[in-house]
Amino acid sequence: MDSYLLADADSVLARARAGDSAALETLYRAFEVPVYNLARRICRTAEDAEDVLQETFFEVCRSIGRYREEGSLWGWVRTIAASKALMRLRRNKYRETEILNDEVTGQRREDNHLRMDLEAALERLSETARAVVWLHDVEGYTHEEIASMMGKTPSFSKSQLARAHVRLRRWLGEEVA
Amino acid sequence: MTHLTLETLVSLREAGSEPGAAAAREHLDGCSECRAEMERLHQRVARLKALPALCPGRDQWPRVATRVLAERRWRRTRFAGLAGLAIAASVAMAIVVSGTPRASATAREEIAAAMERSQALESALDQYEPERRMIDGRTAGLAQGLEDRIAAVDQELEMAEMLQQQSREEQLLKLWRERVGLLDALVDVHVTRASNVGL
Repeated sequence: MDSYLLADADSVLARARAGDSAALETLYRAFEVPVYNLARRICRTAEDAEDVLQETFFEVCRSIGRYREEGSLWGWVRTIAASKALMRLRRNKYRETEILNDEVTGQRREDNHLRMDLEAALERLSETARAVVWLHDVEGYTHEEIASMMGKTPSFSKSQLARAHVRLRRWLGEEVA
Repeated sequence: MTHLTLETLVSLREAGSEPGAAAAREHLDGCSECRAEMERLHQRVARLKALPALCPGRDQWPRVATRVLAERRWRRTRFAGLAGLAIAASVAMAIVVSGTPRASATAREEIAAAMERSQALESALDQYEPERRMIDGRTAGLAQGLEDRIAAVDQELEMAEMLQQQSREEQLLKLWRERVGLLDALVDVHVTRASNVGL
């Protein structure tokens, strides 16, 4: 994901830090799609993801002066986006219906007969599980980093990831008899 | 033969050494079924990474730009207002030195102390960088409410400058104390509650 590069990055960054609106818009255009994609994979609705996109770049514009260039610019923007998306999950307090169905009642329903595509299966995961899968397996965050962003322990992140893969395997029809 | 669980296979992808990882790796090396399961896991992750990027339906930049401009204006107004008050307070202090009643001098000292405390709290809040930290929805709502009230107090502080001297001092002292109280609460919300939040 570090391939999201800016042409003339140093100049854009310097002008953005000085509050140049055109430079800030250049930053937005460079990272708009990856930020939205990350938000959309974590949030339940497109509207929530668009709000996260807005919140992320509002924060980027406010805080660009504090970016220390210790990591990639995309890494910095991505961490803000992930934090905003996770905050949105907390705020909305979606019911984790899939976990309730599977773990509280102990019923697997007709899941063994399902054969979903990957998009549908990912969508079916609980918000928390989906966020962990995406942040760990796709974005490359460690369990420690995910735990820190979620206010949970690394063990929580690990168990969410493992359980999510059990479900994905089942829903994708990849279980071996 | 007992095969490795998917949980174990998922954890084996990590570089660290979980308890039992060595034995699990040894089993994996010698078990074709577990290796096949691991391969399916790798393929699933590769497919996740290959999912097409989703794009926003609407251009969000105009909204972001509008918010950025509004925030800049708000900050300018706020700081200009505070600077004006600081000047007014110092001028009034000079009058006190030249001989005004003791009660008024005390009020001025208390206003100056409240202003100093307010600045210290603002500074503490800036250093804490609350915008970059995770808080739950309830805490975020609480913090937003306090921010809104501080903004309202700031507006009242500006208006209080136009009052007659006696009532102005009383009003300024009341408002600065209120501002300090709100800022104290805001720092408390961010620093204390944010560290105790879970999903």
